[in-house]
Amino acid sequence: MNASVRQRLPVSGMALLLIVGLYFALPLFATGVFSFWEGGDRYGLSAYASLVRQSEMWSSLWLSLRLALETIALSLVVLVPAVFWMHLRAPRMKPLFDFISVLPFVVPPIVLVAGLTALFHGPDWFVGTPNYLVVPYVILALPYTYRALDVGMRALDLRTLTEASHSLGAGWGTFLLRVLVPNLASALAGAALLTIAIVMGEFTFANVLLFNTFAVYINYVGQTSATEAAALTLLSFVITWLAMLGVLLSGRGKGQAQLGGAH
Amino acid sequence: MATLEINGVAKLYGNRTVLHDISLNLSSGEFVSLLGPSGCGKTTLLRIIAGFEHPERGSVRVDGRDITALPANQRQLGMVFQAYSLFPNMTAAENVRFGLRVRKIDAAEQTRRVGKMLELVGLSAHADKYPHQLSGGQQQRVALARALAIQPTLLLLDEPLSALDAKVRVQLREEIRRIQRETGITTVFVTHDQEEALSISDRVAVMFEGRMVQVGAPAAIYQEPEHPFVAQFIGISSRLPARLLDAGQGMISVKDKPLHAPRARGLVSEELHLYLRPEDVQLHALNGSTPSGAVLQGTVRESTFFGAVTRLRVELDSGERLLSDLSTSAAQQLPIGSRVHIGWQADAMRLLPAKETP
Repeated sequence: MNASVRQRLPVSGMALLLIVGLYFALPLFATGVFSFWEGGDRYGLSAYASLVRQSEMWSSLWLSLRLALETIALSLVVLVPAVFWMHLRAPRMKPLFDFISVLPFVVPPIVLVAGLTALFHGPDWFVGTPNYLVVPYVILALPYTYRALDVGMRALDLRTLTEASHSLGAGWGTFLLRVLVPNLASALAGAALLTIAIVMGEFTFANVLLFNTFAVYINYVGQTSATEAAALTLLSFVITWLAMLGVLLSGRGKGQAQLGGAH
Repeated sequence: MATLEINGVAKLYGNRTVLHDISLNLSSGEFVSLLGPSGCGKTTLLRIIAGFEHPERGSVRVDGRDITALPANQRQLGMVFQAYSLFPNMTAAENVRFGLRVRKIDAAEQTRRVGKMLELVGLSAHADKYPHQLSGGQQQRVALARALAIQPTLLLLDEPLSALDAKVRVQLREEIRRIQRETGITTVFVTHDQEEALSISDRVAVMFEGRMVQVGAPAAIYQEPEHPFVAQFIGISSRLPARLLDAGQGMISVKDKPLHAPRARGLVSEELHLYLRPEDVQLHALNGSTPSGAVLQGTVRESTFFGAVTRLRVELDSGERLLSDLSTSAAQQLPIGSRVHIGWQADAMRLLPAKETP
């Protein structure tokens, strides 16, 4: 926020910001304080120390992070070309894309997982492992990843950039990797961030399919040790925020597309 | 430098024919403008040359080689687009380098060519700027440098000046012509701006409703229109109905007045349209005497001041309107409402068959 913006912000605006900030910060603060509680008047790091010693915490955390990365990869590999093609060659299909993208909001996760298990009979190396979760996670993240990419591509003159690239001798691969993807840095960052947030907190699919992800582990710990659950929840927030920060920073480099021109 | 041959190119969108058997040849190093109103097919023709559209019929040959079926990225043609087309994630230098990297040209040669091209367009000092830090004119200059860096066989310019303000347009079009002369590259320039086309082209190809109606040097296009559309579209003309009296003697009648018109010789159509440029129409105050060369009479209805010249709109007694450009001092002698004699030189009359008029 620069000085001129600060000057323009009225007292009522500041008060509103403070109230909203407190609304978000207070529960986190309370959770944080509770995570340090050791009974009576004692506060310390025992909940965190206990968690760090549990190998199940690390394995579930790693599993969720790995699934998040796999989900991001699959989502982007499928969606970037699809949304690009829709914008460039089939803009009339946009309503269909929009409709499909909001389906995960309409179909409850429990119904989705039931449908998937009934219909999806893949090989054991896939269906029998947590990797199977990537399929529903891609669907679950679809509204967010699609929207982020759609907005990002709408901000670019795709036809002109594509044709300029081709006129200079580039094929589709070169165009996608050297022009499209770098110019979608912010959109891709947004899509990745939202996917990480969704996968790190997803409980229903993993629990029903009996995979021990981070969210399932938090639920399990919550039933046995409340302070450790609070510590885990806080840890989950920190991971999501760090991911958000990293992704946003990576999107601000020279790869960040800025449109328009100076006059 | 390369030659370009377009032979019988036709293009349909659904049932609509947007190009009707277009043929055009460009000699090596020639600068040809495709000129016409929106929707006449000029950009479609350019996109067919570039490989972004494919014709239903006909062929495109560069240096005798048929490239009609060749993908755009294998044609080795440089193109500058109407919209700003620089890659936003790359600096000016990186944009110019893009085509060279794609061709895996030696790094030292890439650097040399990038420097040379940016120098050519006068932007060496802006090499490290991103497109959003450049003005519209500078962006189009970088786009030109980028197109030329790959040493294309042809340069295709798709209304590259239309997004710029008037002053920058004039500067950049002169710069484009200078660069084209320096590099000697065969160039196709698409524009709907006749002043642009006439001022920088070796030849102008006027297009109308998917057809190429006249191709010629700028002066010939202006002075000798061969098609009613060209007569109306290029410059400003007043049109009067005329009738052919004697094709052998070159006699016509305008408002029942017989006139000698050298250009009427050899015409066949009886019903004609007479086109007159405002600068060819002379006016004299109606004060009793009839000056030689006077043909018609009318009343001054409107006066538009352009500085040294003032354009008068005159309503003929028969109802038609004529425009006349007079020196401002002469025009001041003919205020609105003045009755005037109207005349013109015999060789100022352009005559075309009335039935072809769009």
